[in-house]
Amino acid sequence: MKDIQLHTLSSFPKNKIGKIVDYDNDNLNMPTKIIEMGLLPETLFKILYQAPFNGPLYVEFGDEKSRIALRKEEGDFIIVEDLINAGK
Amino acid sequence: MQENNKKQILLVGNPNVGKSTVFNALSNKKQKTGNYAGVTVSSHSGNYSYKNEEVEIVDLPGSYSIYPSSEDEAIFSKFLIDGQKDYSGVVYILEALSIKRGLLLFQQIQDLGIPMILVLNQIDQAERRGIHIDIEKLSKALNIKVIQTNAKEQIGIEAIKEAVFSNDFVTSEKPSFDIPAEHKNLLDKNAENDYQAWINVTLEKNSDSASKNIVPKRLQVKETVRRYQNVDKILADVITKKAQFKELLTEKLDKVLVHKFWGYIVFMFILLIIFQCVYFLAEYPMNWIDEAFAWLSQFAGEHLPEGPINSLVSQGIVPGLGGIIIFAPQIGILLYFLYLLEDSGYMARVVFLMDRLLRPFGLNGKSIVPLVSGTACAIPAVISTRNIENLKERLLTILVTPFMTCSARLPVYSIIIGLIISDKTIFGIQYKALVLLGMYLLGFFVALLSAAILKNFIKEDNKTYLVMDLPTYKKPLFGYDFKLVLGKVWDFITGAGKIIFIVSIIIWVLSYFGPKQNPDEMVATDVHLDHSYLAKMGKAIEPAIAPLGYDWKMGVGILTSFVAREVFVGTMSTLYSLDDDAPEGKVIDKMRHDVKPNGEKVFNFATGVSVLLFYAFAMQCVSTLAVVYRETKSWKWTGFQVVMMTGLAYFVSLIAYQILK
Repeated sequence: MKDIQLHTLSSFPKNKIGKIVDYDNDNLNMPTKIIEMGLLPETLFKILYQAPFNGPLYVEFGDEKSRIALRKEEGDFIIVEDLINAGK
Repeated sequence: MQENNKKQILLVGNPNVGKSTVFNALSNKKQKTGNYAGVTVSSHSGNYSYKNEEVEIVDLPGSYSIYPSSEDEAIFSKFLIDGQKDYSGVVYILEALSIKRGLLLFQQIQDLGIPMILVLNQIDQAERRGIHIDIEKLSKALNIKVIQTNAKEQIGIEAIKEAVFSNDFVTSEKPSFDIPAEHKNLLDKNAENDYQAWINVTLEKNSDSASKNIVPKRLQVKETVRRYQNVDKILADVITKKAQFKELLTEKLDKVLVHKFWGYIVFMFILLIIFQCVYFLAEYPMNWIDEAFAWLSQFAGEHLPEGPINSLVSQGIVPGLGGIIIFAPQIGILLYFLYLLEDSGYMARVVFLMDRLLRPFGLNGKSIVPLVSGTACAIPAVISTRNIENLKERLLTILVTPFMTCSARLPVYSIIIGLIISDKTIFGIQYKALVLLGMYLLGFFVALLSAAILKNFIKEDNKTYLVMDLPTYKKPLFGYDFKLVLGKVWDFITGAGKIIFIVSIIIWVLSYFGPKQNPDEMVATDVHLDHSYLAKMGKAIEPAIAPLGYDWKMGVGILTSFVAREVFVGTMSTLYSLDDDAPEGKVIDKMRHDVKPNGEKVFNFATGVSVLLFYAFAMQCVSTLAVVYRETKSWKWTGFQVVMMTGLAYFVSLIAYQILK
């Protein structure tokens, strides 16, 4: 895991700060709501919780520390990078 | 001639920004404030007058973008884009803590050429977060009048009224979003402005956009990203971040409330507390109401002149009404808890916790809100499905929500449970409460089970998703919610009361008169109940319901219940008050001691269980059906719901009675 720089949000470890870099949205299957809610490239985030049985992710993001719930399937559209690799 | 100079303003904003609170503070009209997305499902309006000017406020459903992704948001967009622009302007509510997200929709509306005022709510929360917002700069950058408020404390409300009075609405001259040059050729030259024309393209209103090889959704994404970049630039100047950073209550609470294990325990615990209160706190006022109506009935019986009127009032109308008003305390307590939970922001956490568990049944985490609301009343519950984006999940939720134990079933359950379950307790919890809880769980599980079956028969191509804001926790408006509950309970009493008033008169007529017994009278009056028309009708359907263990009185109860379930209790009260053979006392005691001709008790355990199951499953509420039709716009699904639920009820009750008897 450590040596891979790019993850999707769903595969990103919990309680670690990451940065959104891009979307995987070539087929336009990604709900527009993800962008509308403010999960934009350059935004810092942290996954705080996950509901049991691989349930939705509880993500804190942005300067305002907004909180959002999204499923793993939605997280797969979001490409993120490890902030430690980017130089903290 | 002087025109009525009533001014109209629209209240707009993201969900959970305190829009409803501002609305309530402005107008004094009763209206619900909610803390989960889409609780204001349709536009409400209220009024106030300021300096002799009458103002009407229209509260639109919360939305994140002009591009709709659910039914609520569609209502919202349609209103702003296509609606008659006969309002003075939009009062846009922005929550300081989510200023960035809020400005997206703000600028979209501004670009439509709509005059606006900006309200910045809850700035104290942002300060505590170490975020300072320079109001002057914000106002200048957006070219708008900005008013600071703390709506819960009533701060800034006068300033809004003053701004509306002096028409401080500003229409932006320069659009904040430049239409990408490469797409300019798509725009219809006849549209009101460029952005309006752009929206016609991105919402696929221009039929020829497809031919030009354009993907509208891609354009929407492009616009949103560009707008956010623009907002970032503006905010860089407006916001200063301080090092100081305080953990909010929300973070502390969520450590427990969304915990993998404790989160569910807390949710179950909250539900248990609610049901304990519904059953026990309500017991005292219920006894008072019962005694008051018994006294009233006796008083009317003694003081009205002997004859049909006396009988109609003392044995028809009064017991009928009493039978329904007695359940007002239970309904009130249940609703009060639901409002407080909604108001506090907790419901969104429940959606988060339940999503994964509800998905195997074809439902969405958001279905939990209608399902829980369904324990109060299916009507608002069905309407609250509008924020479920996926149509299949929405239809499924609508179809199964009426299985949830609504408050109209509560009167029936209470009386039957009172009859067949003993007063014993276990660990300090009454058996009766446990059985009641069991009925609630039964409704819930049957709702899930039927969803799991039905999901195989509904087609839907759109992908399901969950992307949901988790609002900060807010202290619920205890006093305000209490007033709301009183209003709702009053609606219930008057609404149900009207029906029950009429039904109890009809029942009285049918039971006071009977087929003639000697040739010279038209009809027999003041007959013994067994010889009345009512008994005749009940006995006519007896063959169909006897296998379920019901006698003709219950048959009459079930027939009248198809108007609304709670009518059963009113009917029973009327029937048993009319029955001269039954010993004096409360209706429930009369029911308890009623015997069949063969000496067997009418309400034995088997019959009781059978009645409980019938009422748990049968579709007996005309008002709910009307709403289901309105929301699904389909007679097929509405009819299907009636047949499925009532068929299941008959079948299950039949089996239960045959096994238990």
